[in-house]
Parts: sequence; C-alpha cells; structure tokens
Amino acid sequence: MGLEGGGIAAQPSISEQISRPDLRAIYSHAMESIATATDLASLDAARVRFLGRKAELTALLRSIPELPVAERPEVGKIGNLVRRELEAAIEARREELEAGELMLGLEKDRVDISLPGWTLPLGHLHLVTQTRREIEDIFIGMGYEVADGPEVETDYYNFEALNTPADHPARSLHDTFFVNDQVLLRTHTSPVQIRTMERQRPPIHIIIPGKAYRRDSDATHTPMFHQVEGLVVGEHVTLADLKGTLETFARAMFGSERQVRLRPHFFPFTEPSVEVDVSCMICEGAGCRLCKKSGWLEILGAGMVDPNVFGFVDYDPEVYSGFAFGMGIERIAMLKHGVNDLRLFFENDLRFLRQF
Amino acid sequence: MKAPLSWLREFVSIDTRIGELGPRLALTGTEVERISPVGVPGDPENLSRFVVGKVLACDRHPNADKLSVCKVDVGEASPRTIVCGAPNVAAGQTVAVVLPGGTMPDGTRIRDAKLRGVESSGMIMSEAELGLAAKSSGTMELPPSWEAGELLSHYFAIADDVLEVEVTPNRPDCLSVRGLAREIAVITGAAFDEDLRFTHPWGDRPIDADIFIEVRDPDLCPRYAARVIRGVTVADSPLWLKAKISHAGMRPVNNVVDVTNYALWALGQPLHAFDLRTIRGGRIVVRRAFPGEKITTLDNQDRVLSEDMLVIADAERASVVAGIMGGIDSEVTNDTTDVLLEAANFAAPSIMRTSSALGLRSEASTRYEKGLDREMIPVALDMACKLLVEVCGGEVSVGTIDVRTEPLPDVVIGLRTARVEATLGLAIERDEMADILTRLGCMVLADGNNLRVKVPTFRIDLEREIDLIEEVGRIHGLDVIPSTLPARREGRGGLTAFQAARRKAEDLLAGCGLVETINYSFGDGRWGDQLRLDATDPRRRGLPIANPLSIDQSVMRTMLLPGLLQTARANISVRETRVHIFEVGRVFRPVGSQLPEERTHLGILLSGQWDEGSWLNTGISVDYFLGKGILERLAQGLNVELHYAPAEEPFLHPGKSAALSDRQGRTVGWLGEIHPSVLQEFDVRSESVIVSEIDLDTFLEDCAGATMFKDLLAYPRVEQDLALVVDAAIPSSVVVVELRVAGGELLEEVRVFDVYEGPQVGEGRKSLALRLSFRSSERTLSETEVNEIRSLILAKVSARLGAQLRA
Repeated sequence: MGLEGGGIAAQPSISEQISRPDLRAIYSHAMESIATATDLASLDAARVRFLGRKAELTALLRSIPELPVAERPEVGKIGNLVRRELEAAIEARREELEAGELMLGLEKDRVDISLPGWTLPLGHLHLVTQTRREIEDIFIGMGYEVADGPEVETDYYNFEALNTPADHPARSLHDTFFVNDQVLLRTHTSPVQIRTMERQRPPIHIIIPGKAYRRDSDATHTPMFHQVEGLVVGEHVTLADLKGTLETFARAMFGSERQVRLRPHFFPFTEPSVEVDVSCMICEGAGCRLCKKSGWLEILGAGMVDPNVFGFVDYDPEVYSGFAFGMGIERIAMLKHGVNDLRLFFENDLRFLRQF
Repeated sequence: MKAPLSWLREFVSIDTRIGELGPRLALTGTEVERISPVGVPGDPENLSRFVVGKVLACDRHPNADKLSVCKVDVGEASPRTIVCGAPNVAAGQTVAVVLPGGTMPDGTRIRDAKLRGVESSGMIMSEAELGLAAKSSGTMELPPSWEAGELLSHYFAIADDVLEVEVTPNRPDCLSVRGLAREIAVITGAAFDEDLRFTHPWGDRPIDADIFIEVRDPDLCPRYAARVIRGVTVADSPLWLKAKISHAGMRPVNNVVDVTNYALWALGQPLHAFDLRTIRGGRIVVRRAFPGEKITTLDNQDRVLSEDMLVIADAERASVVAGIMGGIDSEVTNDTTDVLLEAANFAAPSIMRTSSALGLRSEASTRYEKGLDREMIPVALDMACKLLVEVCGGEVSVGTIDVRTEPLPDVVIGLRTARVEATLGLAIERDEMADILTRLGCMVLADGNNLRVKVPTFRIDLEREIDLIEEVGRIHGLDVIPSTLPARREGRGGLTAFQAARRKAEDLLAGCGLVETINYSFGDGRWGDQLRLDATDPRRRGLPIANPLSIDQSVMRTMLLPGLLQTARANISVRETRVHIFEVGRVFRPVGSQLPEERTHLGILLSGQWDEGSWLNTGISVDYFLGKGILERLAQGLNVELHYAPAEEPFLHPGKSAALSDRQGRTVGWLGEIHPSVLQEFDVRSESVIVSEIDLDTFLEDCAGATMFKDLLAYPRVEQDLALVVDAAIPSSVVVVELRVAGGELLEEVRVFDVYEGPQVGEGRKSLALRLSFRSSERTLSETEVNEIRSLILAKVSARLGAQLRA
C-alpha cells in the first residue's frame, strides 16, 4: 500500500512486527482457531483459550514486571497489539457466525408463499348504493345538497302540485299503487321538489335520491326502483345550464369523452321538457347493440320547471326559473356495469351482489 | 301511432330519405319507434312482377282434385298457364297475379314450377297473401275494369313504409296522419297541403226528417254533430281502402266502418256510424247514464254504467259509451241501409275517468281523453260523407245537425323575445321565432320587439308563453344550445349529518364483511303470524295497498326482518349458505294521520359459517356473540353507546335475545337468534340465524358532533386483574356497572375476559375474570393508590352483589 518513490514507509504486517517467536506462535495459532470456529460455542472456546484468564498471552502480559527491563516495552507493546488484534478478529468472526445462524433459522421458517392467506370476509355495498353515492358525490361537488322525503305520498305532492291534476292524460303513464284516493306510493322522487320549495326560498340546488314505486312487473320493470331527482331554482337559470350540468354529470359518470344531447319530450311538470341521451360508451357513437345502432343512450328526463309548479309553492316565475331532472339509478348502474337484467337488483342473490 | 308514408305524402311532400326522417323527428320531440316496410318488397323491379290478370279459361288439374289449371292474360302476347288452388277461381275473373321472380310479403320468391306435372308460371293471389286480410278462402277478385297486365301498384298500395311513432300525451293533434304530416313539414321545411275542403253530392231529404238530437249534458259534450246517409250498400271496402286501413295497423271491417276509421286516422277526429233503423224514437239523446244502466259494447262485454258516465242514447236506451265504444245493438251490419254518422267532442277528463273505470280503451278514447279540436268536426263529416257516397253509394240527407256550446275564444298569447333567451339560454332571431310559429299553424303579429301569436284550434296544448318558447326551442333545435353551469351564489353542497352517519354505518358493516341487500318495501299480511307476533303488536298492521300486484306484496313492511329471512332462504336454496347481510331501508307504520310514519331501519342477518376455514384455521360459526361483536364495532365506529338488556321478542330465541338502547335509555332495536319455529315458517334451512334490527333515525342521532381529545398519552394506565364469584343469574353487565360506579373516575375501563361456572365455584355461582384499567389524567398512579381503590371496590360489590374474590 506504500506510495511509489518513498515518503511514508509501508506499515509492516502484524506478523512482521512480532519479533518474539512465542508471541508469533500464539498469534498465528489463535488466528487459525478463530478463523476455523464454525459456531459461536467453538468461537467462545477459542476466546477463552487465547484471551481468557489462563491463556498463555494473559500470563505473558501479567509476567511483564518479572521480565528483564529491556524486554518489557517490547513485550508490553507487542503483546497488547496481539490481544487487540485477536479481540477484533473474534468480534468479526462472531458477527459472521451470528449472521449465518440467523440466516439458517430464517431458512427453516421458509413458507409456501403461494398458499392462500387468512380469509378476511369482504363486505359489499349494493350496486344501487354504490351508484347512488357516486351520483350524489358528483352533484355534491357541484354544490348540491341531498334532500329526502316520504315514500308514501299524497296525491297532491305526487301529481297535483307537479302540474298533473286528476284526469290528466299523463297520469296514465304512471301505474300507481294506491293506499286510498288521496294517498299513494310515490311514482317518482319528484314530490320532494315541492316539499323542498315549500320549506325554503331560492336558490335551491338539491338532488333527491330514493325509492319510487310503479305497478309494473316484467323483464324491464320492477314494482320498486330507485331514482335521483335534481332541482335547481334561482334567478337566470336556463336550459343551457341544464345541458351543461348534465354534460358535467355524464362525463364524470361515464367518461370525459361523452357527449350529451337533448331531445324534446313531454313531462307535465317541466316545460320545455327533454329526454337526455349520452353518446354510447361501448361504440363511441358508431352504433352497436347496446345503443340499438343509434349511437346514443337515453339516461334521463329533464326540463325547465313549469311556471305552474312555481304557482303551487308561491315562487314568482317572472323572477325565478329552474330546471329539474330525474334518472333511474338502476339504469345508470346497468349502463355503467353492463348488467343486463333489472330484476337482478332486487333478487339479492349473493352471487350477484358480491361482484361489485 | 302508425302512419303509412304514402298516406303522409297526401299531405306533405317528403323528400327526405326515410332513414334521415327518424332522427329528425326524434330530435324535435316525436319519438320514432320504427319505420318498417309493409306489403311486398317495394323496389320497382319487384313491383313490376305484381300485375292484373284476366282468367280466360279454368280447367280441372288432370292429377289433383283441388287444383285448377288457368289460362291467364297478364297483358303479354300469349296467356300464361297458372296452377291455382283456390276453390272460387273461375274463367272471366279479374285477378291479382304475381309473376315468377316476384317476392311476396312473407319473403317467398315465386318461381316457374311444375305442380303435379303441370307447368305453372306465376301465382293468383288471395287477400291474405297480400296482407289485406287475416285469412282468405279464395282468390281476390278485382274490378273488371282493371286492365290485364297493368301493375297492381297502379291501383292500390301493395308496398309501403310505415312510420310508427310514440306521441306524447300533450300532442293529440299528432294522433292523425295529417297532424304528423304537418309536424314533418315544419321540421323538414317541406310544403304542407292546408286544403281541407271535401265536397260531396247531397240528396233531397232534409236531415230533420231523419233524426232529432238532444244534448242534455253539454258540460260533457260541448259539440255533437251528425249527418244521415240513406241507401248505402254495406260490403267489403275497395282494395285501396283495405290497404290503407291494414297498413295503418287497423283491421278492415266493412266499407262504412272502414270509412269512419279512415277519417279518424287521417284527421284524428273519431266518427261513429249507427244503423239508423236501430235508433228508437227517431232521436239521439246525449246524457249521463242512469245509475246501473247496462250496455253491451262492440267487444261483446256487458258493461254496467254509473251516472258520471256519458252515453249516446236513443229515446229508450244507451247505444254508445260516449267517446269510448259503441253498443252492439246499433252496430252497422251487412243489412244496414241507412247510416247516422256522428262526429262529436267530449270533455277529456270525463272520457279519461270513464275509460279507466270501465277498463276500456279504444282509438277514440285515447284521443278524446287528451282533448280534441272541436273545429275538426265538420271537416271530418265532409270527408266521411264524400267517401261513403263514393264507396258505399247512398244519398246524404240535406243538412248537418250541429249542437254546440259557444265556440272557444281565440287563444292569443304574447311572446316576449327576451323571455325565449332567458329560458333557453340561447338567442334566437325574432323573425325566426315568427317563422317557426307560422309553420306550426299560428298567426303571428309583430308587437314591438315581441310577438302576438294566435294559436290554431288544433293545438290545444298551447296556452301560455312558455308553451310557445318550448315550440320555438324544439323546432330551432335543442342540439345547438350551449352548455353552461348555473351560478351557485349561496349555500354549499354536502350531506346532512344523518346522511353522513348513514353512509358511515353502511361502510362499517361492509367493513365487517357483510353484504348489503335491497328488498322490496312491500310486505305480506301473513308475516305477523309467521313471526308469532302478539295480536296487539303494532308491527302486525302494515299499511295496506289498495291495488297490490300480489298478496305477498299487499302491505307496506313494518320490519326489515322478514325480507332478510326471505333473502336468506333464497340464497341457501342455491347453496349460498354463508349469508351475512344487511339492509338499510324504510319501514312504514300507519298512525292516525294521512301519511304513515316512515322510519329508516338497519337490519342484519347472519347465517351459516362466518368463514369457511382454511389450511390456517377451522371456520367460525355464526352465533349471538358474533352478532353482538358486529354491533359493538358499529357502535364504536359511530361513537355511540349501545346497551343490552334481555329482550322478549316472540320471534327470537328467549335465551339469546337482547333489547338495545342508547345513551339516553331509548330503545333502538333488538338483537338475537331467530326462534326455530320462525325459521321453519320462513323455510330457512339453517342451524342458527342471528338477526338484529335497529331504528337508525334514533340510533344515529347520537353520533353527530366532533370527538373531543382526551389525553391518554401523558400518564400510563395501570391494569389489575380480578376474579369475582357471583350468583350465576347476575348478568356480567351488572357486575361491570357496579364496579364502574364503585371505582369512580380513576377506573377507566372494566373488561370481562373469562367466565367460569363449575365445581370450583359451587352450584349456582359463576366466576368472572375482569381486567380493571386505572388511569389519572393528572399523575402516574401508584401501586398503593390503586390497591386502595381496588379494596374499596371489592368491599362495595361484595356488599351490593354478594360478590366474593375467587380464592
């Protein structure tokens, strides 16, 4: 390790420094024993043998006062050097052996990591709940509150105040479950619009998720289903605002590529009324089986709140305008998850529920 | 509503390709169900194969009794030989022939063929084969004046495309070919034929000599008009009329009825034809029915009427349920010679009510119930009379009887152009608005910046400014409306405390491994018995539904439990035996008021193995304490208290059931193992089923508010274990409560970690191993301090409960 051309002389090796043959013998003997110790016990035996109280080196160091004066510094210096070296060698060897033994122990604990783990039961929220929450959260992000109302309703809130008086032809579109002349199972979540507007003045930004009931049971109808209704009332609310709102919703729900189109339609409680289509997420508008070759999927009905409805809650239609929309949660879930049978939602077959 | 395109073209020139028409109608508010071809394939090549033929000769087939061999002139140099199976075929007939190469409506392609050894070059057709009748017994005879070799399509529509649309209830004007044609004209810009004049010859006899009409209830019948045609010949309709009626989806009946249906379809105004001879006393009386009055309607059903229903009667009895269906007595039959033709207007709500009360709907009632244009009545009578004279012969008695209330005033609406933009969020030029409204049939006048709009009588749905705004937007096109977002100036979005807590509860349960279910809110009136509920138990009395779909869905549920049991049964029956489910939903309790009380409940059901077990462990079975563990986790997660006391629910195992109450001592629900006989009633094949139901409206009230920090970090907790021997009947919770009361505020927690009953503690006693945790928020507690408290506690509980320290 010396530098070429002199300067500091290379340090001689330990053996070269040991001038006394007895010390040199102890040193080389001890180093060999340490190096060949195969476990902690034999290493410890070596330590006792070469560094213990009865060891040759210990005895030699202890006998220094009895040595001739001239030899004392030499024996003291070299003897202690040998001891330090041996101690360091033992420590190094101990670490090696310990690491090895740990490794051996770990090796014994080796498991078949491909075996299955503990079965911690995984719960599931119903797909309707998951979808409802997703819809709620999108609108909450746009500043909506979530409102609620009774499922058994009066004719007044379900029909009359929604501009659907008795004998209105639109009533025949709803197959209604009745309790009596005046009380029924709500056919949509729209009655909560009226209840909310009765309770508070504009501005109103609400969505109303909940159950609705229609007297219909076949492959595409269940007597109970879930809707999310939306209502915004304020000054200067326009149909363009409705379109933008539903576009935002559709993109959040079905992907940022979605287009939305409004088709004129009729609902008694909105005017203008529209049905809202979203561009098909399967074929991207090219036409496929899901969208019946049209490129569009109907997702909800909507419109501007009819001034007559404002009349029922004493809002001035010259000052306030608003829009409302309503969608079936199951329909949204079916489109998003490819569920092909509405009835699955209420059969509660665990083989269905556990998929989501 | 089905409208053949050829019929539409009588009113509007449709240049648009058929495939483009559908989407354009859809985007302006008329939903197109389909556009489908009817009749034979309509390409010119195929149409050229369908021709008029003259049967020159007709001989018996040499090898078949039921076949004839005909020589038929189809306008070619020489007649063709056609083998025909119709029994009525005869020489001299004019017939419809399809030549080889022609394709029939059902797709069959006609070829030259050898039939029982005789070459046949074409086919003689029946009406059924052309789709003009359900079945035919023989060949279709054509008028002798038709020329051999002329195309059939020259005389009547043998091929057409039918537009089938769904008309919204506000647009009864579109329930007619003419109305739909106008809609098409408006959206495509095509010319529309406004002409509505139909003229016909009049006879000599005045109509007053034939009939007298009295309208007793003008509130239900604002207009009633009639004509009389005498001397008609009732027979099959001519083919062009049959083809139109069939292609529109109706069934040809006879020429008189077909004409009334034709006018109905063309104009949307229902007409009714009576056999004049059957009208007794020479008078028609429009009146409310007598209570219990009977009539047999054309569908052969006996109907009992009530006094809010309107009938058309003669001097003696009701002949027609007004606006809905005629009676069988006054029906036009083959013997009819004199016809009374009615065109009327009836109050829409009355028709709606009567039709739904009788469960009887017809093409007429579905139009009347939406409200019709009263001014179409004379037009429809003119059209029908013209056709009747042409098709059935006869003479029209002079005059029209027209009994009506005051005509409705003109509807004139102001349209503020600024309001259009304020509603739609889109600026539209005033001139374009005027143009759209004019095309829709309105009369439009400028009024400064705004418009004054006179609405045509056929648009009864246009009453207000907003109605006009909708029309302008719809025709202008909603697809060009921009997308904007409404301003959110006050308020903010979010869930209420209850909604947030409900979500958290659902998440905690799903986090425990439960699967959420949604059962119908309906209940079965028999559930009370199946659950062994007391006769007085309010949960027996569900709110009844007046018109349920079935007996097992005839009331509104009062509990979630039965639905969960049914779900368990259904899953176990398909070998899904590990049923660990919950539901959050409303239950309904009739109370004195109009509406029932609705509460949101949480229901839990556990059945079968909790986990299947694996190479790591044997599975755990579901038991009461697993259910309780889930509830405890729920309560802890929601930071609410839940207390347990022995319950007496008749549907639960009497020894394994708990009543649940909250911090304030309010009952919030129950938990327990289902009684084995209830399991049997619900046919749930399971060893044990753990169930719980909690009123979330109450339970979640307590969980609002922020959790406040407690310093559990500064000073350590000191734990001491204790084994107490008490009477076996004393619930562990009582011991815990006594210990806590005795321990004061330094005793932070008491936990039971073992229970022992057996010889070591003696008969009727049990030993509870308890871990007491002490903590002070101000200092580290010393051993001596804790020992002192412990001795104090021991003294108190042994005095109060007879508890002894276990030796």
